[in-house]
Amino acid sequence: MNREQLNMLKELMAVQFTVLELHLYLDTHPTDQKALMEYNSMVHQLEVLKQQYQQRYGPLTWGEPSAYPWQWINEPWPWEICYE
Amino acid sequence: MFAANERMRLARAYVPFQIFSKRLDPMEGLMKGTIFPELYFPYRRHKR
Amino acid sequence: MWIYEKKLQYPAKVGRANVKMAKYLITQYGGPDGELSAALRYLTQRYTMPTPQAKGILTDIGTEELAHLEIIATLVYKLMDGASVEELKQVDLGGYYADHDKAVYYVNGSGVPWTATYIMAKGDPVADLHEDMAAEEKARATYDWLIDLSDDPDLNDTLKFLREREIVHFQRFGETLQIVQEYLDTKKYF
Repeated sequence: MNREQLNMLKELMAVQFTVLELHLYLDTHPTDQKALMEYNSMVHQLEVLKQQYQQRYGPLTWGEPSAYPWQWINEPWPWEICYE
Repeated sequence: MFAANERMRLARAYVPFQIFSKRLDPMEGLMKGTIFPELYFPYRRHKR
Repeated sequence: MWIYEKKLQYPAKVGRANVKMAKYLITQYGGPDGELSAALRYLTQRYTMPTPQAKGILTDIGTEELAHLEIIATLVYKLMDGASVEELKQVDLGGYYADHDKAVYYVNGSGVPWTATYIMAKGDPVADLHEDMAAEEKARATYDWLIDLSDDPDLNDTLKFLREREIVHFQRFGETLQIVQEYLDTKKYF
């Protein structure tokens, strides 16, 4: 995996992690408006990053479009990546 | 040690609620394992 | 239902292959306080939770534990990468090799296979949430001991991430416990 793809992937991980943290927080604080606003804004950022990544490197998940040939099976799989 | 307030009763465990105020940047949060500075309690080598 | 994302939650690295560490670390794959135990425990306890917050948090933390399971598998896979039969024999993984070659299998640090007796679903939400908080502390302690055992800064970086997640999960289960206890109180007296 080249440097550019790896950097994009790590940025995606970071933003998705922020969304997850706010998500778990909101499970036990469903009426925290500040956290909810923050959550919605991070979800939007995540959506943009995912679309950029997938347009370049193929689907990250089920139900996403693929170029020819079927890109889902492209290596490396997550456990094969060298995250230097 | 602290005394129970009137909303607490004996034979019950209590964890205080977190109140969200600020969060770390996404990359710093990922590297630390939490985006909440008040929940960050890192590993310390304490023996052996 | 569940949907796979073709990415890890955290960029899991190891500095070098190390079969001895693989042998210790695999307990977080198939051991009593490991990620498989955690995921299966929370995902089966959610059905008997009384409040929406509790159903949500057990679903979401249970799902996150599956992502941690994948991180542990990745680390074990990388730690065993390229190891010779001789190296496996030296750390007493000959028995493991005979049964699994270098497949990642659900065993604890002593080679004992995973068992459902590692987890409990009592049906009593207060009892179950206490088990979950204890489970997070036990997993946090296991990561402490694993980091003590390891001299690989790259591996420790990922173990510290997983260790911190246990602390955040403990906090969320603790908050859920307060919500559930208050809910049960109101139910009792009206």
